[in-house]
Formats: sequence, C-alpha cells, structure tokens
Amino acid sequence: MRRVLEGSHAVSHAVELARVKVISAYPITPQTHIVERLAELVADGVLDARFIRVESEHSAMAAVIGAASAGARSFTASSSHGLALMHEMLHWAAGARLPVVMAEVNRAMGPGWNIWADQTDSLSQRDTGWIQLYCEDVQEVLDTILIAYKLAERVSLPAMVVLDAFFLSHTYEPVEVPEQDEVDAFLPAWEPTEILDPADPHAFNQLASPEYYMEFRYKIQQAMEDALRAHDEIDAEFGRRFGRSYGAVHRIPCREGERAPLALVTTGSVTGTARVAQAALRQKGIGVDVVKLKLFRPFPHEEIRRVLGPYDRVIVLDRNISFGSGGIFASEIRAALALRGEQPAVYPFVAGLGGRDITPQTIESVVARALGDEPPSDILWEGLKL
Amino acid sequence: MSPVTFRSVRDLPPMSRSTDTMLWNRTGSWRFLRPRYQDKVAPCAEGCPAAEDIARIQILLGQGDFEAAWLRIREENPLPGVCGRVCYHPCETACNRGEYDDPVTVNSLERFLADHAWKLGLSPPPPEPAAGGGRVAVVGAGPAGLTAAYFLLRLGHEVDLFDAREEPGGLLRYGIPEYRLPLDALAWEVGLILNEGVRFHGNRRLGSDLTWDELSGYDAVFLAVGTWKPAPLGAEGEEHAQDGLTLLEAIRQGETPEVSGKVAVIGGGNTAMDVARSLLRLGAEPAVYYRRRLQDMPALPEEIQEAREEGIPFQTLLAPKRIEPLPQGGFRLVLTTMEILDEDEGGRPRAVPSGHPDVEVEVDAVVTAIGAGPSQGAPAEVTGEGLVAEGLHLKRIAPEGEWAARPPVLVGGDLVNDRKAVVTAIASGKEAALVIDTRLRGRDATSIWPSIRVGRKGGVSMNRYLSGDRAAQQDHVVRYDELNTIYFRFQERRERPRITLEERRTGFDEVKMRISASLALKESERCFHCGQCDQCDNCYLFCPDVSVLRDLRAGTREINYDYCKGCGVCVVECPRNAMILEEEPR
Amino acid sequence: MPIELPVHERMYSGHLACPGCGAAIAMRFLLKGLGEKAVLSIPACCWSIIGGPFPYTALQVPVLHTAFETGGAVASGIRAALDARGDTETQVVTWAGDGGTFDIGLQSLSGAAERNENILYVCYDNEAYMNTGVQSSGATPTGAWTTTTPTGSPKPTRKKDIMQIMAAHRIPYAATASIAYPEDMVRKVQKAVSLKGTKFLHVYAPCPTGWKVPSEISVKLARLAVQTRIFPLYEVEEGVRYTINLEPVGYLVDEYYRTQGRFKHLTREDLDRIQAQVDESWDRLKALARIG
Repeated sequence: MRRVLEGSHAVSHAVELARVKVISAYPITPQTHIVERLAELVADGVLDARFIRVESEHSAMAAVIGAASAGARSFTASSSHGLALMHEMLHWAAGARLPVVMAEVNRAMGPGWNIWADQTDSLSQRDTGWIQLYCEDVQEVLDTILIAYKLAERVSLPAMVVLDAFFLSHTYEPVEVPEQDEVDAFLPAWEPTEILDPADPHAFNQLASPEYYMEFRYKIQQAMEDALRAHDEIDAEFGRRFGRSYGAVHRIPCREGERAPLALVTTGSVTGTARVAQAALRQKGIGVDVVKLKLFRPFPHEEIRRVLGPYDRVIVLDRNISFGSGGIFASEIRAALALRGEQPAVYPFVAGLGGRDITPQTIESVVARALGDEPPSDILWEGLKL
Repeated sequence: MSPVTFRSVRDLPPMSRSTDTMLWNRTGSWRFLRPRYQDKVAPCAEGCPAAEDIARIQILLGQGDFEAAWLRIREENPLPGVCGRVCYHPCETACNRGEYDDPVTVNSLERFLADHAWKLGLSPPPPEPAAGGGRVAVVGAGPAGLTAAYFLLRLGHEVDLFDAREEPGGLLRYGIPEYRLPLDALAWEVGLILNEGVRFHGNRRLGSDLTWDELSGYDAVFLAVGTWKPAPLGAEGEEHAQDGLTLLEAIRQGETPEVSGKVAVIGGGNTAMDVARSLLRLGAEPAVYYRRRLQDMPALPEEIQEAREEGIPFQTLLAPKRIEPLPQGGFRLVLTTMEILDEDEGGRPRAVPSGHPDVEVEVDAVVTAIGAGPSQGAPAEVTGEGLVAEGLHLKRIAPEGEWAARPPVLVGGDLVNDRKAVVTAIASGKEAALVIDTRLRGRDATSIWPSIRVGRKGGVSMNRYLSGDRAAQQDHVVRYDELNTIYFRFQERRERPRITLEERRTGFDEVKMRISASLALKESERCFHCGQCDQCDNCYLFCPDVSVLRDLRAGTREINYDYCKGCGVCVVECPRNAMILEEEPR
Repeated sequence: MPIELPVHERMYSGHLACPGCGAAIAMRFLLKGLGEKAVLSIPACCWSIIGGPFPYTALQVPVLHTAFETGGAVASGIRAALDARGDTETQVVTWAGDGGTFDIGLQSLSGAAERNENILYVCYDNEAYMNTGVQSSGATPTGAWTTTTPTGSPKPTRKKDIMQIMAAHRIPYAATASIAYPEDMVRKVQKAVSLKGTKFLHVYAPCPTGWKVPSEISVKLARLAVQTRIFPLYEVEEGVRYTINLEPVGYLVDEYYRTQGRFKHLTREDLDRIQAQVDESWDRLKALARIG
C-alpha cells in the first residue's frame, strides 16, 4: 500500500510491521516523532507491545537489553546526546549478543546545542559492536528497519538504522508500505535460544576472565563478518519479496555500463542530493559515479575495494568529523583501499556539519576541486564560511 | 566436580554465560578455623546429683517424644516420678534461665514425664543380659537401695534387696506423706524396678533378721538403711516429746495417731513440715518452732510456703529448753530465745541465746523433727572413722578388723550424705552400682571416675559409663554469658497448679496437680538447652556458604567441610553454645 | 524451636564471597522467599563476583548481570518481555548493592518506581563500595572509615535515607530487612512477591572485610544494628503506612560502633552525636508509624 509518510513514522510503522514486543525510549529531538507514534500505536492496541517510558536513554537501552534477554523483540530510538548517554549500554547489548534494533536519527553533538543533521553521533559508536545501516530516503528507512531485525537476529548482534535529522526524520515522502502477511513471511517471530528461563537457569553476561574474554570478542568479530554475507542475502531476499534492495555498497553510474573517472562516495540522505548533482554534472559533460555506502558496520572492505579500486579519483563526502583525523567514512575507505598496491587518490571532504545544507552546488564544488589541481589531502573542508 | 574446559571457540557460548555450577570450587581450602558441633554440659545436669541429662530431656519433651524423654531420665535415675514430686531440684537453682527470667520448672516436667508413662502403662525395654556379673546384696530399699539395685541388675548382676520393713520404698514409703508422694505413684515406679528381676526381701532387719554372715556370701554389699533413729533434743523432759518420723510412719501405715489439739513441732527441715502439715490434716493445730530464722530453714522453700499457706504458724529464734507435763494434761514448753550471731564453719548461721526472757507455751503435744541418726542395725562404723570415701555420695567401710574378711561394703544414702535428700540417695545408689561393677569386673574405678562425672562438681553419669552419647560431651558447663540469649523470649515460668486450700487442710490428696501436656510443652519451650543442639537450625540458616547439611528425617546436622570457609557465624549464632570454633588442623 | 522457612536451597556452595559475607546470607534468604519462578538482574556489585566467573554460576535462578546503574531499567525490560510472552508469574528481581542503589543506580530505580514497574528491587546494603575496595557510598554511615574517607577525615555526612526516598514514590511496598532476622526477611520477600507494582527491600548485610570485623560476628552486627535502632525493621505501604516490625531493645550505639574497626577512631563526642542522630531518626520513625 502506498502512503505518504514522514520518515519518523516510517520507522514507527516498520516497528509495527516487525511485531516488536517491547519498546523503550526517552525523548530527544529529532527522534520524538518516532516514539510518539509508537506510543500511540501501543496505546491504541494496534501494536501489541509494552512501551517503557524510561527516565533516560541509558535506561532505555538497559530496558531493551533486559527485554531482549528475556526473549522479546525490542526496539528503541535515539539521537545525538541520547545515543552518547547510551554508549556504555551499546557495548553491553553487543557483548550480550542481543539483536536489539534502534533507529538513530543523526544529529549533531553539543556544544553548542544543535539539533540538526550530523553523523558524528552514530559514528562515535562505531566500536560498540553494533551493525550500522545508513538510509537514503524514507522508503529505505522503512525497509531497513525490517532488514535490520532479520539481520540482527540472524547473527545475534544489535543493529542501528541511521537516518538524517529532519532531512529524513521530518520529511514526508510517498512510501510503499508492505502488507503485514508479507512482512511476517519475511520476518517470522524471533525464537531465541539464549534467554532468561527459570526452567533452565544460567547466569548471563558474567565475569569473563582474561582466559576467555578475547575469545568472546573474537566471536563478536566473527558475527560481524557473518553479518556482511547475511546482509547481502537478506537484502536480496527483501528484493525478491518486495522489489526493493539496496546493497551494502551501491554504485550509481553516471552512464549505465560505463565507469566515470571519478567516484563520489556518499552516505545517508546526501546520496539523493548527489543523484541530482550527478545529472547536472552529466549535462555539463562531467562524469561522476555516485557510490552509496549503506552498511558501515560491519565494514564491507572487499566490496569497497571491488567497487572503488578501479577509479582514478574518489571523493568521500563526510558529514562528520573525527577531530584530529578527519572524515570518518573517508578514513575507513582509505584504510580498506590501502590493502591493494595501486589505489585511487582519495579526496576526503568534510561538509554539512550541524545541519548545514549540502546542496547540488556543494557537490559540484567538491567535484570541481577534486578534478582540479588541488592535491589529495588528509582532510578537505567544503563550505566553510569564515 | 572439576572445572569446565572448552575444546574450541565454537564450543563457547556466544556470550559470557554460565554452563555449570560453582560446586567445583572447594572453598573449604580457604578455612583456617573450623566450626564443629560439640555438646556441652548444661548447668542443670551438673546441678543434679543424679546427673540427669536435663537439657536433652527437655529437647525430647519439646519434640513431643515423652516416652523417649522419660527413658532418658531413667538412664540416670529410676525414680523420676518420685523426684518429680519431692526433689529439692538443685537443677532449677543452677538453671541459666534463672539469670534471664525464672528457672525452668524442671521438677514438674520430670513428674509430667513419669506420670505420662504411668498413665499409659509404659514400661522400659528389659535390660540386656550382661555376662560376668556377680551377686550383690543391697540392704535398705529406700531410694539409694532401689537405685543401686536397678543399676546393678542392668549392669548384669544378681541383686538381693533387703529391707527391715514389709514393703520396699524406705522413707518414700514410710516417711514422706501421701499428699506429697501418693502411694500408688510410688508403687508403680518401685514395681518397674522390681519387675526387672530384683529379688526383694521384706521384714529383714539388719542385725536381727539379716546377719553379716549371710551377707558375707555376696560379692559385694551396699548398705543404705537410712537414718531413722531419732536425734536427741537436748532439752529437759524430752522424753515427753514424740518422734516425728515415727508419727509419719504411723500415718503412712494407715493409723490415726493420738495427737490432737495444739501441737508444737520442733524443727525446720522437711520432716518438720511433713509432720506439721500431716497433723493439720488430721485435725490438730500444729505450730512450728525453729531455733533459727525462716530463711535459715533447711526445708524446701515451697514446703515452708505451702505450710504457711495452710495456716500453720511459724515461731522462729526459739530453741526448746524444757518440756513440763501439766497436771491437767498437756505440756508447758519452755523455749530459749535465740539470736543469730554469725556463720559457723559450714556457713550455717550460728544461733545463740539472746539473753531475752524465755518463752512459754502450753501445748497438748510436742513432736520433734530435728534430724536423726543411723537406723537400728547399722554397724557402728558408719558413724565414725570407719569409713573411707568412694565417691561424692558414697563411702565404704574400711576393710579392717572383721571387715577385712567380708566382701566390700559400700555405704550410701542418708547414712553418709551431707544433704540428706532423695536425689542424693539416688546418686549414692548409682555410685554404688558403678563402684561395685568396676570392682567385680576388675576395672579401675579411679581412672573411670573423672570421665563419667558431669561437670566439675556434678554427679556421675551411667550413660557415660556405658559409653553412651553423653560420653562425647565436652565436660564444660555452659555459663549464662556463653549463651546467645537474643534468641530467647521472656516467658513466665509456669508453676504447676495445686488443689484448693480447703482440700489441702482436710485431706491427704496430692497437693500438686498433674500438669497437662500442653502446659509441659509450653514450659519446656523455655529451656535454653544449654550446650545441646536442639536443631534450631541457626547454623544451617545463617551459613553464607550453604555448608550446613541437614538430614531432616534423622534430625541431624553436618558441616560440609568441602565448602565451609570457617567464618564462624554458625558458632556465634548458636543460641546455646552447642558448637565451637577451633583452629583448622594442618 | 526450628524456624519455619522454605527448605529449598537455590544457592550453591563454592561461591566467591568472603567468609562471613552478609550479602551471601541475604541472597540465601531472598531465594528462600522467592517462588520457583524468578529472574534476577544483578547490576555491578559484590555479587557480580560472588556468583562466579564464566562459565560458572552459584545460583539456581537465571541471572542477568548488567551495568552498575541499570538495576531499575533492566528489570523493567525483563518484566515487559515476560509479560509480552504471557508469563506474569515469574518474579523479576533486581539485586543491587548500596552503591548501585543509593548512588549510581538511583535514577533508574526512581524511574522504575515512578512507573510502578511490577518488580522487586532488593538493595543489599554493606555501606560502601566493597567490591572495588571499600570506597564511601551514599549508604556509608556518619563517621565511618573507608578508603575514600580516611580516618583523618571520616565520612562527615549522614547515610542517605533510601527508604524515605522510595516511600516518596508511593510504591506499594518498601521494607527494611536484616540478615539477622531471617523469618522477617523471608516474610517480607514473600509479601513483596504477592503484591503488584514496585516493591523495594532494603537489606542490611554486614561486610566483615570492609568493616574490619571478624567474620563470625557478621550476623551479630546486623542484629545489633537493629537492636540499637540504627537499622530498624519496618515496612511502608503505599508510601505512607509505616509499620515497625520489631521493637528494638534500644542498646546504646556504642554496642554496635565499638566492635568495628571502621569506627575505632570515633571519640566519645562523635558517638554522642551519632546517638543523637539515631534517636532523632527513631523518634521520627515512631511518629510516622503512629500516623500510619
């Protein structure tokens, strides 16, 4: 059924379709629409779930950890400072191997207070053991929530579905909403084996001495590696069932069947802008292939090398920054490419922090800079005003 | 149980999740102190001349196992029904509960158990035959003789029990009045002893109907003929006075003595009380005259109290000086007024004439009850230097002169005891049985004695002599300050009910009534069970290491030293000091 | 007289508690009070260690170890999941130390209590951060030595009144309990289990190691804390109905303080001041019980 949905509500309806049993959340702009709608759905009896309105994001994550440990498909949503407050428990959820799914609305970190789009919040949680999936549009947000559950439950790791503040969370788009029975067929009820059960009592998440700790970490890494393959399978299955699939890394060529000399790597809603810029540039005779990175954790090293390796030049557009280093996607991509001897020149642009617009012009500008005489650098800033 | 090992990463659970228990971890290796169950001696047991295991008896009683409790008494004392009525209960004086609120009414509980057995017609299991015993003569069938006969038989000896009177019981049968010790109660208990195979020979008075030649045919003789001979009053005209014991015997025989009107009863002991109260019941008007003060009277406080309740007047600090017959009949009793000066060597207050004028009273009769001497027929040696000590309540005629050729003659009961009482006589009888058994079996009594004495100053235990469970007791008498009294609640002592004053003044019905089982259970709850595990389960409950194992069916507790860390909480929380913490043996 | 308590034993020997550990005793009583179906959530505390390292457990109930400050929230989540699965019977219990309750976990506990989550939250109070080596917590009493309140500057302030805090949430049931009074504690656990909503138990659990006392007086100290009125046994229903469960003998606080190494530096004046505090708190409690 085709509906016009706000990005946040697309999340809410995906959660409903996923038949989530426990939701726990604490309000933070711009995540609020997601949980408000969920609270309504639960209150109205549309969604048969428990909604725990906790007193902090830390408790929200703790609550869904408790719920998932007791075998309930669980959901939370947060953003920015809320996510940062959850940090400890993000580690806990992953270490406990709980397939919790969270919608994370990318928002800038303070100070100064800033509620607008910025990826530094989610990327700061890079090492917590969460699967991270970045979405381009509202349809993808809805679909990815469903994919995320299936993936998380397959590999027993938590998953974060990331959407940009306002550009996605507060934007209405026409969305194809799958039917419940179709979703049920794709995503059956979760049947966990490792749960709190008085009939089979175990102690979970207990002290792990140096004798064992490393092996548990190794197992998380293995699960992440499994998740790479699993994501592709599930994404493909989703495509077969619903006609839409996204890929972990998706190349959008300037001209079908050709390879442009320049690749532009984007994440999140900027990909949509890049599509527009790509068309404009094509008209000006400049060929740019857009490469959309959806799956950040696990990082698709091989796929990145396969897709980006043949290019002469690669632009990475980062709406985030790791201070003292640079754009985080860029740094990961360069690290992946570095495994091969010959590699493209990478132009790591930082742009659009704190919700500053990344327009087609911004993209045309970075393309011009990358094709010009400006040498590659560790960090390139685009759009600084002062 | 050994620690889990994993062969590969694949074997590991996905997260840090238990697959086994901690039981492999034998925390007992942490221990440097070791708790242990250790029964100790309760002060009541030490206080009891018969060394009854009172704390254990109370535990059994509290569990409702009245028969087991009764049999437990009979391990040390064959006359609980008697003692439960007439004992001076030094156990209660020693009771740690006395420091808390009031002592446990051990005495009435003892009677309860005996009466319960009586009422149900219980009889103890027959003694197991033991080979290698001898033939023993017991002369005197009072409490000492009966006890000796009982234990000797159980130890495997043949026993002939002689008495000057027709029936067995001695003072119990012919001295103590019916209202304190009903004949049927006595007869039942004496019957239990005789039924086990003791041969009783009545009307055999030593010296006349029973000769030393005959007695010399035995392997050993126990002599406990009591002190029935009246003591001299030391007053002018004392031939006009009647002897109290003779009077009591007459009453016990069913005679009605010709004593009426105002009667002066001289003395302050239990016999004086018995005489005065018996006379009252016969319609006379007795008054008690005593040379010291009320608090100095050797009679049991409860006897004095009951006598006074019954309306018998007590005149104290008056010593008889002269008894003058009056022309119109009756007597004038002249009494010297006394005063208390200080204590004599034995710690008794010394009474001396005060110098105040004498007191004169006119009475219809004077009855003396001031103590007595060895009964007729007792050899002269029992009064003087002819005795050597054998035990706390036992002497032996020195094997000199004609005695050298005779079998050993042990002497006990009132003949030798400083405190002349039923329970001390029972102690004599038990000691006699023990000494005779050791002699006849060639065992060394002196080495055995310390191990069977209960506490430092207590009586000897037959259970210990026979290597029963009391042999394992640590011979430490538990003091009040060694108890964890927080676990006890203040509870009023429940005295046994008595018949009405009117009934008491007019008849010989037993004054103290039987107590109900529920009352007995309630009262028994008050017992601290000093030094004896009563399975209160504090040790089990407070163990942080789940290392006290219970066998609920067997009613036993055991420490699991595989895991016990030796924290000692169980020992501190034991309310009754039935555990100890000692250094871990290395 | 045998104490009539459930005979079942859901704790194994071999756990890692120090000898005489009050928290281990408290756990036994909790498990005796709980029915067959229970789930424990244990935020960071001594019991994170006591229960055993991977792959072992000392408990026969499922346990979810969790982060320090999450006692209230994790339990809420477990409860929600069980309810969602239709299991309303299994008791969800948080078992937390005083640091995890009075301090770092207070917010999440307050959240759970405000939502009146159907959970039992048990704080076993050993009056400091013992697992980390005896640092002062909000539960550390006045005058106590800890490694962060050294004898030169012992804890100047009073112990937080966690019961009043919990009562202020108007939860159905809050009660104090002590390892020295097992019947009382087990009864309170059973009562808590029978009620719906948030139940809070504040359990006094001495730590011989941290208090510098011999292990064998662990229970005795807990008893003295009650009998000196330092830690009275009482219940608060619906946040307002106070019931004192045991009338203490009212020993002077000296009886309790003088036996412990952590208080040995205290002067006569210090003890008098503490006595005055105890008296004042007791009077307030009595007054509340009268109103209730």
